[in-house]
Amino acid sequence: MDDRRRVAVPTSQPDRGERMARLVTAAREGSEDALGQIVTELSPLLWQVARAAGLSAADAEDVLQTVWLRLVSHLDGIRTSSALTAWLVVTTRREAWRVRATARRQLPADQDWLAALPDTEPGGEERAVLDDQRRALWAAIRQLPPRCQELLRIIAFVSRPDYSAVAAELGIPRGSVGPTRGRCLAKLRAALADGPEGSLR
Amino acid sequence: MKPTDSGHSAADGPLDDVDFGILGDIRQAFDEADPMPADLPERIRFSLALRGLEVEVARLAAEEDRQVLAARGAEQSRTVTFDSDSLTIMIRIDSNSDGTARVDGWLAPPQRREIEMKTSADSLSVASDEQGRFAFARVPRGTAQLIVRPGEPGQSGSGRSVVTPALIL
Repeated sequence: MDDRRRVAVPTSQPDRGERMARLVTAAREGSEDALGQIVTELSPLLWQVARAAGLSAADAEDVLQTVWLRLVSHLDGIRTSSALTAWLVVTTRREAWRVRATARRQLPADQDWLAALPDTEPGGEERAVLDDQRRALWAAIRQLPPRCQELLRIIAFVSRPDYSAVAAELGIPRGSVGPTRGRCLAKLRAALADGPEGSLR
Repeated sequence: MKPTDSGHSAADGPLDDVDFGILGDIRQAFDEADPMPADLPERIRFSLALRGLEVEVARLAAEEDRQVLAARGAEQSRTVTFDSDSLTIMIRIDSNSDGTARVDGWLAPPQRREIEMKTSADSLSVASDEQGRFAFARVPRGTAQLIVRPGEPGQSGSGRSVVTPALIL
């Protein structure tokens, strides 16, 4: 383990959950600033949820706006950071499906969003090691079933204490990322260990 | 510890530092490959800045760009339709010669309502007629949002404001 890995892990401070719950309460009481802080904190996650569902960038933006507007009238039933994150993720996913289902937004038959991603940009020599690791990671992700790719892409942007709630909402009764590693992450680990680079460090 | 050690990377094992490291790497990889537009949270905050919380959300239902023949040649005209539970809002956006936008709109079912166009600069307000028609003659280009204010009792969806997502004029 090097430090870079540890730094990249989503926020997991014990007080984050409390802070988010306080922001939800303030937002429910009409604080635009509190709602704005929640938007800033969780929009990057919802962006990935919408894009992982196969939406274009423009459609993903529309869906995020719709989801946040809808949250305003649903704040009454939401008390915890986990409940908030889970509601936002599942609502974004549903809205994304809804948009995809409309006839005017034809998608390519294959929805391999991974294939549509740009390749890692070539970097200088000092980036070579990192690039190798990144390439190995993309290669390993591509070996996973699409369902696992989507789950891990979403979970990677979720704050640690909210893993279980979000995974449950994503409808994976067993093998989800929560207190246990889950099938998808176990497969990715195995793929990384067996990859051409040979090890995960 | 090697991650391949049997028993340490099983699906039913507890998440360990290697897992958190991998998830961190996935996050970083997607953050670089497919980042959220940096100004999106600001646009969302803009569209959330509503006076009352009791709102009905209109979704973007259709959008069409087309070239129209104008006096000075071809110009872009854009038609956008929003649907909410009680209302359909359709707007056509055309260019004025001074660079501002002209917005003609229709409400269905047709009805008189107060309609607000919120822009980053200020707020414009007009009323629709009995046929549900309304028009903003000059709207500054940029981010804008429509808010249909509550109507008379008895009208469809009269109790709540209907808001659209922010759109770029």
